[in-house]
Amino acid sequence: MKDNAVFRGRFLAFVLLLPSLIILTIFLYYPTIQGMVLSLYRANLFLGTRRFIGLENFKSLFVGTLSPRYIQVVGQSFIFSALVVILGICLSVALATLASQKVRGARIYRLFLIWPFALSPAVAGTIFLFLFNPEVGTVNEVLKTLFGVKPRWLDTPTLAFTLVVLAAVWKNLGYNIVFYLAALQNIPAELGEAAEIDGAGPIQQFFSITFPMVSPMTFFLVFTNLTFSFFDAFGMIDIITGGGPVGPKPFDNAGLTTIMIYQVSEDGFGGSGNSGLAAALGNIILLIVATITFLQFRYGARRVQYGEN
Amino acid sequence: MLADEGKPYRVVLERIGSYRETLQAAVLAARQGNPPHLAQLFEVGSQLAVDSGIFEPIGNVGGGIDLSDYIEPVINYYTIDGAVNSIPFNSSSPILYANKNLMEQVGLDPTDLPQTYGELLETCATIRASDVDTNCITFPLHSWFFEQWMAEQGAPMANNANGRGGRATETLLNSEAALRIGEFMHALGENDYYSYTGKLEDWSGSDAIWLNQETVFHITSTSVSGTLPRNAAENGFETVTGLLPIADGVDRNGVVIGGASLWLLAGHPQEELEVARDFALYMTNTENMISWHKLTGYYPVRQSSVDQLAAEGYFEENPNTSVAFDQLLETIPNTATAGALLGSFLDTRTIIEEALQKIFNGTAGVEEAMNEAKELADARLDEYNANF
Repeated sequence: MKDNAVFRGRFLAFVLLLPSLIILTIFLYYPTIQGMVLSLYRANLFLGTRRFIGLENFKSLFVGTLSPRYIQVVGQSFIFSALVVILGICLSVALATLASQKVRGARIYRLFLIWPFALSPAVAGTIFLFLFNPEVGTVNEVLKTLFGVKPRWLDTPTLAFTLVVLAAVWKNLGYNIVFYLAALQNIPAELGEAAEIDGAGPIQQFFSITFPMVSPMTFFLVFTNLTFSFFDAFGMIDIITGGGPVGPKPFDNAGLTTIMIYQVSEDGFGGSGNSGLAAALGNIILLIVATITFLQFRYGARRVQYGEN
Repeated sequence: MLADEGKPYRVVLERIGSYRETLQAAVLAARQGNPPHLAQLFEVGSQLAVDSGIFEPIGNVGGGIDLSDYIEPVINYYTIDGAVNSIPFNSSSPILYANKNLMEQVGLDPTDLPQTYGELLETCATIRASDVDTNCITFPLHSWFFEQWMAEQGAPMANNANGRGGRATETLLNSEAALRIGEFMHALGENDYYSYTGKLEDWSGSDAIWLNQETVFHITSTSVSGTLPRNAAENGFETVTGLLPIADGVDRNGVVIGGASLWLLAGHPQEELEVARDFALYMTNTENMISWHKLTGYYPVRQSSVDQLAAEGYFEENPNTSVAFDQLLETIPNTATAGALLGSFLDTRTIIEEALQKIFNGTAGVEEAMNEAKELADARLDEYNANF
């Protein structure tokens, strides 16, 4: 059989694509284009004003009085996303490998590991806030009883940043593990058996067989985790830290957990409704995510193994 | 009144979310040609609401309304360019809440609460020196307190008479009055007298700290003067309340009214506007304001409600709430206590909170932090004003 089956009639292909295209146009392409146009205007949500100002909004982001804030926000977004993706992927592939071992109660472990996936970012944020509230949270109650310490989780810069990263990693864990479990089931058992006969230990098996075999899944998950960390971590951050605390110099121009998408919402909806400026920052995020995705497909795709050929 | 004529109007209530979201929703609904009749908006959104042009000043509808019974500092806030824009509904200001039991354990007199920063810091030192394991004070790290402390000193937050004489073009966040507040925050941080969750604007976080007896004092809104002492009693301690402690060496000017008011949306037939207005007046009539106050602790905004509560002997039974009234009724009406009108008020709030956090953490000196705050707030204000 030929590898590349094609539709003869273009019309049928178009009809089948149409529902997706309509949805994408309404909810994705149209708003994206609107966002691009809006960033060229001084526009206010509350006033309904709109005046063309060219690239002024972008200028405000990177030069001028307000720019130190935005520069810091862009920088810490990168660090946040890198940590969330790298930690998230490493931890989930490790946990999924453990959870796919044939042990008693494996199904229960799997269930518990997948569970965070079922929570919305806001609920996950609330759980973390209950746990890590420095004065009345459960974690500090325990730490105070055992060690007599009460870490300031929400306003010690490093702790607050770490907490938000860990919360985001935890929230994503369930999603990643579901996919990795599926990928692990598809690894032919002979490979493992052959490796065992050749005398490979579990760690060598993991790095030489398991990890390369799940690489298509890793490729996919890097992308979805990246999108999550850039766009969806907003709700958790809003609830856990509200974007704070301001860092030590020179990171005192914005709250350390204010990532770009949070700043977009602060500018566009939270403050005085500066839609133009918010749109400009939104476009920067779009550009960054598009660039990373492009690089990933360009260079990352070569390392991915898709079966025998 | 609608009730008198027995006309068939129905009140449909819709909860949108936070105050910020409600303002957004009202604006978007109006732009789409389907405005509600009334919206409950928070005080700092006032300039945005006026500028949005979707509201009808409620005092101008029909033949106007009689506002003589409304408490002056309250109605003062919502009077813009001589027109009463909205009817105050839930109004509050900050007061000092003290844990009476802890005060007695420390050896402090619960009938003599600190009234200035200096007295408060001295009291904090006494608490620290005692063997009672508790901190001095908590309050949410919220710009609202900064705004109140400015007003108490008779100091405006913005030029052009706090934005009431003309559109504000500059904030005054590094004025002498502002620096005094910064110095207080610095003293609290340096001596570790202040406790908060670390998150900005965390109201419930500070309530929890105080209810857990982690601090002796708490500064928060009078809107919880009913509920907070009840919760305290459940946690096994008694509450005493006092005036908001203010900067030393200045006359007490009074507080800016906080809370929210009912705004009438334009674009409806005259009769509907009048009915909606009548409903807003009904919500704030003497009896409704009394029951609202008893339920929550929010001020009744009418003099007749206060008089009736006094006649019932309510204040003798609830001495904690009478502090709130004294503080409000003794407020001197001026541009500072009328509150600032700033289109970029919400951005300004974040800027102030971050500045106070830097001062408290010791990341920046008082003057440095407030100068920077002014510069940032002015940039945001310029950006906003450039829309006109």
